[in-house]
Amino acid sequence: MIKFDNVSKRYADGQEALVDVSFEVSRGELAFITGHSGAGKSTLLKLILAMESPSSGQLIANGVNLSRISSKQIALHRRQIGTVFQDHQLLHDRSVYDNVALPLEICGYHPADAGRRVRAALDKVGLLKKEKSFPAALSGGEQQRVGIARAVVNRPRIILADEPTGNLDPALSREVMKVFEQFQGVGVCLLVASHDASLIERLNCRTLVLDSGRLIADQKPRPDS
Amino acid sequence: MSANKRSPAAAPKPQVKSRPKSRPKPNTRASRNESFSDLLQVHQRLARNSGRRLVETPVSSFVTIFVIAVSLLLPALLFSLNSNLTSVLAGFEDSAQVTLYLRTGISDADAEEVSNGLLTLESINGATYISPAQALDEFGTATGLENLLQEMASNPLPGAIVVAPANVSPAAVDDLVQQLQELPEVDLVQVDSRWLQRLAAISELVGAIGRVLSLIVILGLFFIVGNTIKLAIENRKAEIRVIKLVGGSDMFAARPFLYTGFFYGLGGGILAIALQGIVLITFNSSLEALMHLYEGDFQLRGFALANGLVVVFVGATIGWTAALLTSLHHIRGISP
Repeated sequence: MIKFDNVSKRYADGQEALVDVSFEVSRGELAFITGHSGAGKSTLLKLILAMESPSSGQLIANGVNLSRISSKQIALHRRQIGTVFQDHQLLHDRSVYDNVALPLEICGYHPADAGRRVRAALDKVGLLKKEKSFPAALSGGEQQRVGIARAVVNRPRIILADEPTGNLDPALSREVMKVFEQFQGVGVCLLVASHDASLIERLNCRTLVLDSGRLIADQKPRPDS
Repeated sequence: MSANKRSPAAAPKPQVKSRPKSRPKPNTRASRNESFSDLLQVHQRLARNSGRRLVETPVSSFVTIFVIAVSLLLPALLFSLNSNLTSVLAGFEDSAQVTLYLRTGISDADAEEVSNGLLTLESINGATYISPAQALDEFGTATGLENLLQEMASNPLPGAIVVAPANVSPAAVDDLVQQLQELPEVDLVQVDSRWLQRLAAISELVGAIGRVLSLIVILGLFFIVGNTIKLAIENRKAEIRVIKLVGGSDMFAARPFLYTGFFYGLGGGILAIALQGIVLITFNSSLEALMHLYEGDFQLRGFALANGLVVVFVGATIGWTAALLTSLHHIRGISP
């Protein structure tokens, strides 16, 4: 589903964000990306979202070669990916409901159909009662969960999450990870950037460790725990 | 690799029951509906939102709409003036006439003969002889000086033949005048429609100015609407970024701005006809007085529905097109 093949990313200022990274994440797999801040986690997610293009190497996500993607294809590509952003990226002049409905609106869903899906997604993150609120009235954790609802509402093939549990207490983190695992169970490929060591430890998933832009470890889950 | 090997305790029961295969395709096009009523619903919502944004900033929206209205007003007024002139001209053209004043001393019988002779010419539609006595009568009735005139020893007025030319174009009338001038019985030929020809020339000029001004105004409106939309996009950059991040195309992000541009143009067009109405009502009485001097039964026609619709249509089209070009250009430049 996501395949990095000797991918490097060097920014215009000469900073090496990723160096020779190769790995593959398949359907129905949940993988964590971890590492210190500045290790390249965000860059890696940006590459998959086609917000940046690789300087060298080949990157294929959802069957699309992102090294050679046209600007028109980018929009279509992003519709297949649900992304949870660290800074939420919500629209502050729209209600929670409208924020979550945005990906469906973009894809031209029937309003009634969209309504069912939005409520199902909000229910999953426990925010059904807040659908009429505006993001500014929500706590950081609630905004985070709105972002998660928006990421999953379109039933994407790939879910990318950048510190999705950063603002959540342990109980809510578990709830969110449960939602992710449900999607994993139906064949969605998930890539979660996190430095929440205890969460990663507890979930026992595959973990990719980045350090200064290099992939230094690819830890498989422990066979039995 | 196999994430499914997690311990049963840690793994929550998958609540999504359907298997991947039976899951509705998360594809973008698959669930896209093309039904007209759905599309209408989407666009109604877009239009409402764009309209609400305009109402939220009433002063700046009104200023923009007012500027558009004034720009549209100038050519609209010129065209209206021109069409009024043209209709006046059309009304008078049929009644264009040439008067032949006969030499004194020509008997009524001779004059009648000349008049009948003129009728045989192809370039003349009609000829009526007015004898000196008739002319004096008419003059007396028109001025109210009957009594005074009756006391005059002799009639100072000449006989006259009023000729209606078949072709009222200036050149044809000129030809006819030359031809009639050569008749021995004729003293003076007077064309009663010289002023009409001048008016026609003025009308032509007004029309030409109107056309050039329209082009300039259209260009100006493009800049006005374009710049306003550019500012609106600048203000909503964050929103556009988010839309692009979740897969919205440039066109999707541009849609609200198209409605904004459309509303600006529409509002400007409607305000322009309102202003035009005010201007025409203000000047109608004085113009009527002027036209009365030319014995024209005249009423300004600026309110013709068709003219108003053209102004509104032109305004809305320019607004929409300017918004389309500007928003696509600027939204393309915004990268998440």
